[in-house]
Amino acid sequence: MDTALIPKGVKRCPMWQFLLGLGIVGAVLLWGVYAMLLCWFKGLNQTNMNDYYGFALWIWADLAVIALGGGAFFSGLLRYIIGKDELKHIINYAVLIGFICYSSALLILAIDIGQPLRGWFIFWHANVHSMLTEVAFCLSCYFAVLTIEYIPLILENRQLDKVPFFHNLSHNMHEIMAVFAATGAFLSFFHQGSLGGVAGVLFGRPFAFREGLLIWPWTFFLFTWSAAAYGPCFTLLITWITEKVTRKKLVKDNVIELLAKISGWMIFTYTIAKICDTTRWANITAPGLGQNLADFYTGNAFYGYWILFAEIVLGGVVPAIILISAGLRKHPTWRVVAFFLGVMGVSLNRWVMVLQVMAVPILPFDTWALYYPSWQEVATTLLPVAYGIILIMISYRYLPIFPQEAELNPIEEETSTAVEAHTKSAPDLEPAKA
Amino acid sequence: MKHEQNHTTPMRYGMAIDLDKCTGCGACMTACMAENNVPFKEDESDKLVSITWMRIFELNNGKAFPDTDICYLPRPCQHCEGHGGHSPCVSVCPATATDYSQETGIVSQIYTRCFGCRYCMGACPYHARYFNWWDPVWPDGMEKYLSPNVSVRMRGVVEKCSFCFHRYQLAKNQVYLDGERKVPEADYQTACTQACPAGAIVFGDLNNPEHQVHQIVKPDSENGNKSRNPRAFRLLERLGTNTKVYYLSNREWVRRAGDNYLAHEKTGQVSKPHH
Amino acid sequence: MKVDRRSFLSFVIGGAAGTALSPLPWKLMDDSSIWSQMWPWTPVPPDGEVVYEDSTCTLCPGGCGISVRKVDHRAVKIEGKKGHPVNDGGICILGLSGLQLLYGPTRIKSPMKRIGERGQGKWQKISWDEAMAILTEKLSDIRNKGEAHTVAAIAGTEGGTVPALLQRFMTAYGSPNFIRTPSHQDADELAVKTLFGASGRTGFDLENADYILSFGSGIVDGWGSPVRMFRASSLWKEKNVTVVQVEPRLSNSAAKATRWIPVNPGTEADLALGIAAVMIAQNMVDPGAVAGAGGWENQLLANYGTKKVSQVTGVDAGVILELAKGFAKANRPLALCGRGKGLVAESLRETAAVYALNALTGNINQEGGMWAIPEADYIRWPDVASDELASAGLAQPRLDGAGTGRYAGARHLLNRLADAVNGGGPYPLQALLVAGANPCYDLPDTRSVRMALERIPFIVSFSSFNDETAAMADLLLPDHVYLERYGDVPVGAGLAQQVIGLSKPVVSPQFNTRHLGETLIVAARTMGGATADAFPWDNYETCLEETLAEKWDALIEEGIWVEADIAPVADTVRLAVTDAPAVQAEGDVNSFPLLLIPYDSIRLSSGYIGDPPFMIKTVSGTVVKGKDGFIEINPQTASATGLSEGSVATLTTPRGEARVRVHLFEGIQPGVVAMARGLGHTAYDGYLAGKGVNVNELIGPVEDPSSGHDAAWGIRAKLAKA
Ligand SMILES: Nc1nc2c(c(=O)[nH]1)N[C@H]1C(S)=C(S)[C@@H](COP(=O)(O)OP(=O)(O)OC[C@H]3O[C@@H](n4cnc5c(=O)[nH]c(N)nc54)[C@H](O)[C@@H]3O)O[C@H]1N2
Ligand SMILES: Nc1nc2c(c(=O)[nH]1)N[C@H]1C(S)=C(S)[C@@H](COP(=O)(O)OP(=O)(O)OC[C@H]3O[C@@H](n4cnc5c(=O)[nH]c(N)nc54)[C@H](O)[C@@H]3O)O[C@H]1N2
Ligand code: SF4
Ligand code: SF4
Ligand code: SF4
Ligand code: SF4
Ligand code: SF4
Repeated sequence: MDTALIPKGVKRCPMWQFLLGLGIVGAVLLWGVYAMLLCWFKGLNQTNMNDYYGFALWIWADLAVIALGGGAFFSGLLRYIIGKDELKHIINYAVLIGFICYSSALLILAIDIGQPLRGWFIFWHANVHSMLTEVAFCLSCYFAVLTIEYIPLILENRQLDKVPFFHNLSHNMHEIMAVFAATGAFLSFFHQGSLGGVAGVLFGRPFAFREGLLIWPWTFFLFTWSAAAYGPCFTLLITWITEKVTRKKLVKDNVIELLAKISGWMIFTYTIAKICDTTRWANITAPGLGQNLADFYTGNAFYGYWILFAEIVLGGVVPAIILISAGLRKHPTWRVVAFFLGVMGVSLNRWVMVLQVMAVPILPFDTWALYYPSWQEVATTLLPVAYGIILIMISYRYLPIFPQEAELNPIEEETSTAVEAHTKSAPDLEPAKA
Repeated sequence: MKHEQNHTTPMRYGMAIDLDKCTGCGACMTACMAENNVPFKEDESDKLVSITWMRIFELNNGKAFPDTDICYLPRPCQHCEGHGGHSPCVSVCPATATDYSQETGIVSQIYTRCFGCRYCMGACPYHARYFNWWDPVWPDGMEKYLSPNVSVRMRGVVEKCSFCFHRYQLAKNQVYLDGERKVPEADYQTACTQACPAGAIVFGDLNNPEHQVHQIVKPDSENGNKSRNPRAFRLLERLGTNTKVYYLSNREWVRRAGDNYLAHEKTGQVSKPHH
Repeated sequence: MKVDRRSFLSFVIGGAAGTALSPLPWKLMDDSSIWSQMWPWTPVPPDGEVVYEDSTCTLCPGGCGISVRKVDHRAVKIEGKKGHPVNDGGICILGLSGLQLLYGPTRIKSPMKRIGERGQGKWQKISWDEAMAILTEKLSDIRNKGEAHTVAAIAGTEGGTVPALLQRFMTAYGSPNFIRTPSHQDADELAVKTLFGASGRTGFDLENADYILSFGSGIVDGWGSPVRMFRASSLWKEKNVTVVQVEPRLSNSAAKATRWIPVNPGTEADLALGIAAVMIAQNMVDPGAVAGAGGWENQLLANYGTKKVSQVTGVDAGVILELAKGFAKANRPLALCGRGKGLVAESLRETAAVYALNALTGNINQEGGMWAIPEADYIRWPDVASDELASAGLAQPRLDGAGTGRYAGARHLLNRLADAVNGGGPYPLQALLVAGANPCYDLPDTRSVRMALERIPFIVSFSSFNDETAAMADLLLPDHVYLERYGDVPVGAGLAQQVIGLSKPVVSPQFNTRHLGETLIVAARTMGGATADAFPWDNYETCLEETLAEKWDALIEEGIWVEADIAPVADTVRLAVTDAPAVQAEGDVNSFPLLLIPYDSIRLSSGYIGDPPFMIKTVSGTVVKGKDGFIEINPQTASATGLSEGSVATLTTPRGEARVRVHLFEGIQPGVVAMARGLGHTAYDGYLAGKGVNVNELIGPVEDPSSGHDAAWGIRAKLAKA
């Protein structure tokens, strides 16, 4: 039915299966859209946020998704600037995942603000002192970059590519992609950092506050570093999931292992930095403001020392060791365990830097404020997940996302025409050229 | 009438609240709600979604019966000056919807500019900022008492105590018509100060030695505006928020409750602004 | 078509510039900010000319001067009136909320008659003419049958021309049953009469006292004239005056005091007498103001030894000695009583004990002391000339028994009404008029009060608000609220001066309501005959102006009339031996191991006026949460019952049972639980109704053996985890 749209040389599931999958995920999407409309039309009273929890689940999702989307800029940096050429086999997927993450982040922000119609005030009445202003500018610009990086991939669809205009447009875009990759890396450095700065500059909140360098608190650098470190983990985790779902090998192990190794060393260095930061904060910064570590991790029903352990040891030290050591890294199970722990670790870090910041009492006579999200918040948080899955499903089906797919999955029962098609289609499957 | 542009000292409006006098009666809260068109809902018992620009905290000394003691602490916006006007909330607002006035020291909130990102709420350690989670709705006919001097806030924006800024504007207009230069102490008083039946709140210009609040607080400009009055303290002084609301008490446990202290630290001794 | 780099860039840049230069995005952006601030449901208060109008607040007996800011003929804010002798610019939380009562949804907007079942809330709007016809026909019917005495009237207060007109109406009509709502005033009047031998009330020169010994008086919880008390409390702080608060619970007043003396509930009188005994034993009394004390002193020395008093009250013997010395040695000591806001009368034994303490220091009618002064007596109308029907009615005994037999000392016993109507009285009631009172909420054992009202065939409410009693009525004849009408406000409330304030209409009546004074004059005239003759005024305003006579001009001008130089009713206190036992809490210790005591909070209006939305908004989340009301309990007592902060429990007393939540509080004696007054309304509006528990449903009246006044200070209770 849609064979004409499917890239040459690869096999896709039957249409009914595809539509069934779309339908199931689409239902979740619609549920999320319903919740989103409720939030827009009835207001943020649909959430369980309150005056103590001005930031809650969504902002966590936002920060987490942006950190995980960091695979795009960092892989781009490695591929186009540093010249790790093997990564061309996974860069498409990294860009797609990045695009999904960043568009989701913007959507979440549009739901999260109390006056969505005034969202543009952040640009029009910009306050240069605000980390959020920096986030807004860099995030929007980087989203534009990701869009530009994603467009040529769309244009490579078999049918679109037949249109000379699109063909040439895509060709031209490929040619300048290094420029965008560099811009993207630069922008990412700042918005990842300023997201870290959002919490770190809160000098009224000893739990979040960090000293730093020039105008930036340490969290600025930690966030950038962690996004670069864990983003690829997420790309690899999603790739692994995609391989499991499609029951196909899509990317060669040498590519996976290269990115995993880089990620491992990044996580390792980041974790050392994070431990230094935590130590300084626990021993100098917080006590200077009159608070002990115990003030932040005891006296409430949820936030205990376990969260510190889970973030730094389980989500930092452990995956770093697995990915650095060649033996463990090459073991498929250990590798995936590391990806999983890494993704958990960075998500937990973002959780702590948003939710726990809000929960800890600051005034000595105040108490912990715990919160649980309303269904509307959960639904709108799942909305981008569903949207991401749908976009991946469609992109995977119709676009040549994985350049190595055809090679790794030769279509055996086909006749010689197929072989011909294969060789002919090879250039189509070539990834973007610098 | 002659109006000269004079380079007079900027003002720093602030408060001194005597916690030994405050009875926790709530008149200040209510005066504020009445003065500033603060909305209300049927159920206001969840204080995490209840807009009270002036909120009264109940403190206790943590001792068992019969040595228990309680103290009420009224908390308007502290109008933090931070370092050179970088109050916690002002510096974070991406849309410049809240600002530190170098003329008056008042931290403003411009509702029509705010787009409801709530970053300022996260930044304020005093929980002085409130979000309009709901549309403000008055029961039929009750909107008659709304004051035209303060705009009614729409859903989705943040609001907070303004030190009754509209009263300053009215006083300033009057002063201008009278050809004076400075707003006299008595002409600009906040609604909570005016209402307090215990006379616990004193409001005025901390920079003006003629104002009572200056005489009570005796701010030490060399030392981050720390008070020279041994009875006085500020909330979370060591965070460097440099607030303009001072509290007074003879009771040490009350003064100690104003800031976070490590066990070995002496009350009032470690309040050096942090940065 | 070949797209080279140049055409590609032109395409991108051109497209972006084209869109940006079109008016579309700018227009949309601009519009969005307009829409988002101009939603039609966000009101825009109209501007207009600003004027201030002075008046007097009548929301409590405090009598504060107020100044109402008006914009464009709308009242927008109530402020305290500067320079006013009572409040000098200060104002309380209730006074500040007055406009929510004026413009609020709880107003009764027109005369109405009931069309559904009682209490069902089905009403029909009717005209004032029709309403007055229903009222007068009904009353005439009863009277013509010679049963005028079977009509009763309940009033919130007795002071001022309006309650006086109601009382006069009852007299002319022929019923002895004009009943005032109970309060500490009952106990005070009785004590003055007993100790000074003359009618009058006490006044306290708080501002000049230098040692305050308060037996549970809510100095900053709404006792006396609340704003004046707040001011006095701050003045004492400034002057380093010692304030001792005797109370089982760390109330706000106790927290403000220099010293809090926790005492076993209900033993305040014992402590007062114990202190008196020490003063006598140690020869620390000023005998000047005391007469006939010999027998009393001996009785005291015999029965109130420090050790015994210490045992009864739970106050250390050393502390008792200290208190006695501190009190006696102070230059101008002053002892106060009347628990909380003084909403309940205390026993004569207790009131007299505290007043005796004052007498022993010689502070009677002295600067900084306790004064015994006459009630304001500016209302001097000619006596009612009763016709035959009226005389017959007036010859009947009062339904509540006040003034005769064992209740000879009491003037009003509303607490006995329920029993009387429910079968214990000399005759059944045929009609009840209620003005400025809410007995269905306010009286102890509310359930039996409601049962009693259900038996009364015809109930008329003059309430301005949808209160619980109005909900039980058959006919609503709504009064204006204070901001819409004239009224004289004699201020008692512990003031040592004679003060009369004037309420003036600040805005025109918002609804189809009518001044109660006017309603009464019209009713009397319609009834004709002797009743009409007793009401010779054209209208209420004439009546008020004539009554106030020479004070009228001053009141119109100043809003207030003060007489500082008043002759005390007497200078000597006569102390006599009594054998009145202490008032005990109802219920037996074995089935009800705990004690429940009500407490008053200034943030909870606890009389005829329900908490307006502003006030209920200030109530802590540990007093009301959602629909749940809390009890305060010592953590020790709570853990013995397996209860922790916020847990749900069932509180049972001999009078009733309620679901409550638990708030742990170290400031309350173990074994005692406290519940706020002013919650658990079933009427008014959605901002107030259904929140918390009405403590009056759990507590029954306990008669003071000396007078019959309800002197209940608590009740025995038990608590179980729910
Ligand atoms: N979309 C749209 N835009 C409009 C209008 C419209 O109808 N729609 N109307 C226009 C008109 S007519 C006007 S007058 C303006 C009014 O718009 P704005 O002035 O922007 O908003 P207001 O709510 O009127 O301003 C009152 C608030 O300003 C803050 N404020 C007061 N003084 C100061 C100060 O000295 N410094 C700072 N930083 N803040 C202060 C106080 O916090 C006060 O709460 O809006 C104009 N813009
Ligand atoms: N709650 C709240 N109230 C406020 C304010 C606030 O911020 N909040 N802001 C205040 C301020 S600063 C202002 S300026 C006022 C604005 O208040 P208004 O002056 O009432 O402004 P608009 O609501 O724009 O109403 C103007 C009216 O003029 C009509 N109109 C438009 N063009 C013309 C014309 O050419 N001729 C005629 N005859 N009529 C025309 C419009 O249809 C509209 O009915 O609101 C004040 N009130
Ligand atoms: S009005 Fe005055 S006494 Fe009452 S709570 Fe406020 S500051 Fe305290
Ligand atoms: S108290 Fe909070 S809202 Fe007020 S100025 Fe300080 S940080 Fe800002
Ligand atoms: S909520 Fe409004 S005032 Fe606060 S930071 Fe955001 S835009 Fe600024
Ligand atoms: S200063 Fe004005 S705005 Fe601030 S709390 Fe007091 S009354 Fe409210
Ligand atoms: S104390 Fe009483 S009279 Fe005074 S303002 Fe309050 S309610 Fe009105």
